[in-house]
Amino acid sequence: MTLLLQGLALGVLTGGLYALLASGLSLYFGVMRVVMVAHPAFLFLAAYLTYTLHTASGLDPLLALPVTVPLFFALGVAVQRLLVARLAPENLPMMSVLLTFGLALVIEGLLGTVYTGSYKSVSMDYATRSLTLGAVRLPYDRIVAFAVAALTLAALFTILLKSRFGRALRATIQHREAARLVGIRTERVTGYGFGVGLATAAVGGSVLALITPFFPAAHWAWIGKLMAIIVVGGLGSVLGAALAAVMLGVIESLVLVTVDATWATMMFYVFLFLTLIARPQGFFGGRLAQRF
Amino acid sequence: MRNASRYALLAAGVALALAYPWIVPNLYLLYAGVLTLMYAATATSWNILGGFTGYVSLGHSAFFGLGAYGTGLLMTRAGWSWIPSLIGSALVVALFAALVGVAAVRVRGASFVIVSIALVSMTNLLVQGWRSLTGGSTGLRVPSPFPDLNRGQSHFAFFYLFLGLLALVMLTWWFISRSRYGAGLRAIREDEDKAESLGVPTAAFKVTAYALSALFVALAGGLYALWFRSLDPIFVFSILIGSYMVLMSLLGGVRHLFGPLLGALIVAPAGEYFLVALGETQVHLAAAGLLLVLVVLFMPEGIIPAAARLVSRPQQASIREEAAG
Repeated sequence: MTLLLQGLALGVLTGGLYALLASGLSLYFGVMRVVMVAHPAFLFLAAYLTYTLHTASGLDPLLALPVTVPLFFALGVAVQRLLVARLAPENLPMMSVLLTFGLALVIEGLLGTVYTGSYKSVSMDYATRSLTLGAVRLPYDRIVAFAVAALTLAALFTILLKSRFGRALRATIQHREAARLVGIRTERVTGYGFGVGLATAAVGGSVLALITPFFPAAHWAWIGKLMAIIVVGGLGSVLGAALAAVMLGVIESLVLVTVDATWATMMFYVFLFLTLIARPQGFFGGRLAQRF
Repeated sequence: MRNASRYALLAAGVALALAYPWIVPNLYLLYAGVLTLMYAATATSWNILGGFTGYVSLGHSAFFGLGAYGTGLLMTRAGWSWIPSLIGSALVVALFAALVGVAAVRVRGASFVIVSIALVSMTNLLVQGWRSLTGGSTGLRVPSPFPDLNRGQSHFAFFYLFLGLLALVMLTWWFISRSRYGAGLRAIREDEDKAESLGVPTAAFKVTAYALSALFVALAGGLYALWFRSLDPIFVFSILIGSYMVLMSLLGGVRHLFGPLLGALIVAPAGEYFLVALGETQVHLAAAGLLLVLVVLFMPEGIIPAAARLVSRPQQASIREEAAG
């Protein structure tokens, strides 16, 4: 019972990070119907930048955010305007996957060349201690990670729901032509949408560097997990992705403490296939997802 | 190009391929030749699905790895000899692909690519996790099919085996491209809903194309197992093998019989060159990725149509391009 509670708590904490990253993926898909395979590669790029800043100056991984977030926002806008927007519209879904897949290979190759393929990690002194709640022990680094992810998600939702830019972004996602008719500059908004999506990867990178050792090729495992999350949640639904992320994070942890690591990761794919067979549009996706 | 010169070119190419092992000066070039043929065979097999139907699978290395492990396991655990192991394992993989295909081809476009990536991760996890059967991450040793050949003679034998496989796959592609079945697959690529409404059994066609392409990739994987004789799950199930198939096909041109072969003749030697010139770094990954980005951005139809446009009148646009334009 204690074991299950421990798994549940850790699952929720990990699910926060999954939710943050999956929401970025949902944004790309929403604004351009693009599956951004390079998202986890950028996540690892951010983790390595954080690592470099940390080893060079002893900076806390979270203090790297003022550097990495604007940088990644600009990178995201550049990727959309300079690369994705140039693709021919009639075969955009396939070609954009291949394009971002190529980007992922480039990033992985460069990271492997610069930092070698071995594990790197950032450890802060608070990472080794943990908070004890009854029988459940929660490591402080996981709590910090969850808090950062949750705060970023809350900020993202506030921007999407309350700000003028958020409304323009949602209008672009819902109906591009109609959005253009009411005077929204959809091209520019789409670029910013990519920027915001990649900024979530920057935040995720710092968090990742804090909680786990990493190596360049590990981003493939993240692609599989995140893709499963957005399919289960329903492609294009930011809220659905967040809910599916926490759910799958909890299931992963529960299987991890009761069975083993192989089956814990396998759960993502089991749910991916179950979703595709039972409900291909995902469990929270609406009208948008049905067309894909 | 007139037909006579076309046949002459084909005959010269076949003669060159057959003579290659006899004219190369050293063992390394022979090894590189075998590797290139293997990639060409896998890329052409990939193109049975990707070229005709337009469904891009990034996960065909799953079938490569399963074919390799299936062959190895049938030989070591069941004691079969190499030919029945190779064929039996490929048939099982094709059956498995058909089952996966029923779920996978229900989704189109982006979701299909997601499923294909997930498939590699799943098979990789299973093979590494099932330690008692597969040896887990330490890999699997496969007995030699030709115990009395030395390393050079073995490269020699496998050069012709892979060449035979490539010829088989290309013949299959050619037959399909001239059949009603091929026309149906092309109709799926151009507009799946219209094809369906015109009576093309799209689901059955997609699943069979998926299984057929998996069958040949699995045969290539099985031959790889017999040739290399030591299987590393991280390599045979790597995303890189799957992405090489896509990169080679796209680079050469997915709508052409010789497209994937041409792509393989460029990409595989280039990859080997990076390994030799720069050692075991990851630069070749970045180079492959960069090439993929450039091809997708500037030459999505591949080299063959681009070159054809240079030498003769413009290619006919596909139905969809005409409709869009």
